[in-house]
Amino acid sequence: MSASNCLRCLGRPSVAGASRGVVVPVFAPRTAAPFSTTAVQNALPAKPKSAEHQDRSVRVYRAGRKMTIKKKNTQDRGKPPLPGERKAFRKKIVLSNDNAFPVPWVTEMEASSLSNENKVGSIVSLPPALQDQLRATEAFQPTQTWGLFRKPSTLIRKETVGLTGKMEKAVENKQTARIVLAGEKISGKSTMLLQAQSHAYLNNWIVIHFPDAQELTNGSTEYAPIPNTENPTLYMQQNYCLKLLQSIKKANEKILAKLLSVSNHNELPQNITVNQPLLSLINAAKEAEGAWSVFQALWSELNAQGVNRPPILLSMDNLPHIMKMSEYRSASFDKIHSHDLSLVRLFTEALAGNTRFPSGGAVIAATNRNNGPRIPSMELALKQRLAEQIKVVEGEEAPEPPVRDPYFKGYDDRVEKVLKTVEVIEVNKIGKREARSLMEYWAASGLLRTTVDEQVVSEKWTLGGCGVLGEMERAALLTMKI
Amino acid sequence: MVSLFGVNFHEAKLVQKALQHFYALGSQTATRIMAKHSIHPRAKIGTLSPKTVTALTAELSTMVIESDARKIIQDNIKRLRDMGTYRGRRHAMNLPVRGQRTRNQNKTAIKLNRVERKG
Repeated sequence: MSASNCLRCLGRPSVAGASRGVVVPVFAPRTAAPFSTTAVQNALPAKPKSAEHQDRSVRVYRAGRKMTIKKKNTQDRGKPPLPGERKAFRKKIVLSNDNAFPVPWVTEMEASSLSNENKVGSIVSLPPALQDQLRATEAFQPTQTWGLFRKPSTLIRKETVGLTGKMEKAVENKQTARIVLAGEKISGKSTMLLQAQSHAYLNNWIVIHFPDAQELTNGSTEYAPIPNTENPTLYMQQNYCLKLLQSIKKANEKILAKLLSVSNHNELPQNITVNQPLLSLINAAKEAEGAWSVFQALWSELNAQGVNRPPILLSMDNLPHIMKMSEYRSASFDKIHSHDLSLVRLFTEALAGNTRFPSGGAVIAATNRNNGPRIPSMELALKQRLAEQIKVVEGEEAPEPPVRDPYFKGYDDRVEKVLKTVEVIEVNKIGKREARSLMEYWAASGLLRTTVDEQVVSEKWTLGGCGVLGEMERAALLTMKI
Repeated sequence: MVSLFGVNFHEAKLVQKALQHFYALGSQTATRIMAKHSIHPRAKIGTLSPKTVTALTAELSTMVIESDARKIIQDNIKRLRDMGTYRGRRHAMNLPVRGQRTRNQNKTAIKLNRVERKG
């Protein structure tokens, strides 16, 4: 092996070295290339250099490849969507699919359909007028599968009949049913809430629905302290209030036009006197400013005692979001508890049973498990209520309701106080009979391309977490391969 | 366009970001100012009422921000320079002040450190 360096002088035996003044012995072998010690004699005869090469005085041995950046194709992609267009598309609710077959045996929902025990397991469609009302209160959600079928229809479950039965019983006794719908992910809590609303609309109740509780507490709408409230200071959300008033108006227009006011409201932007329809009271709210006072006036009118008023349904989806500190801050930079927001307080007071509706009614809230925060106090309270609700067989001891973990600090007394006396309905799994009825409906709509027999029902029921409705939809409808 | 403390902002600008635009006003102070005036965290400057904008401008005018805050920093550096301290000299030479290397990774110091400091 030949060393690349000259061992005696440590200089490189190359032309470059020679030029730097290093003495090169006369007999030193001339090398063919500066990086090689191979003698010239051993090298192959040099090729005649081309004219091009001879021109270059400096030879670049390794020229880097020139980087070329291709110009991107500048296609005309059209106009970008306008502000708000993308969101509107994301939130778009499609309620019908013309390609699906109409199902002959599906009947329209009537006032008594949802409380009829004989109808458990049957599918009923929502009448067009009801659809508009439910749309106005944002009861439909884009994640639900309404858009797959010819007509928006819903399955009457055992729990549905239980829920509507409780609503009816409360109205008979002029009391308020206070119910929390709890259950697993996609088990149908929001749909149950929709059914409760449908029942209320069809029976001429007044419905006030908060479609998503997190809109109230995640710091995305305007807020302001209400004057003359101290210990604690309450906050109003005028913009949300206006939106809510408009949805109430749109959904309950017919009933509100018939109801008349019983007191004067001079404080409103538009003076409302006695015996004016409540619709004109709502119409007084044209701008966000003043919306809260209009809402207060409407609420006091609806709850006026000694007058014939329709029953009221107050409902809210995504309950856990109002059971924590909100994202809003007070003037002294403390976090505001959600229950100090006036709209939330109105709901929690009703849920706790402190508000008396003149003709009775219901307060229904649905928990959510997908996007909901974990609220230890709420979870504990719901477990306690469930334990209390268990019917004890004679001779057996009632199970002990769970208690607070003594080593955990994150409990909230206000939350537990609100949920002290509510009733909990667990919306969990459907039975195989209901599953079969539902799958027959899917098959008749042309969405499930198999014969619905016991085996298929069993298979999908098991794949769907033993009857979790949303999971069954995922297993049978949303993974469909055509 | 909404004028806040003499600066025009686009209506779609977040109030939080608009406030942070001013020198020596960071996220903490901005959040506190917003809480004081009951402005929600995701508010855009176009949605504020003229009354609130005036109140914010009044609030900002009482604070040490922009040129006042710059002046304080410049005075501090000038003091170091006049005393003839090492830190003062390093500021004057646009070099890192606190013993960082100067062989490379000193772009920020070269950009910012000077007797009449801007940023």
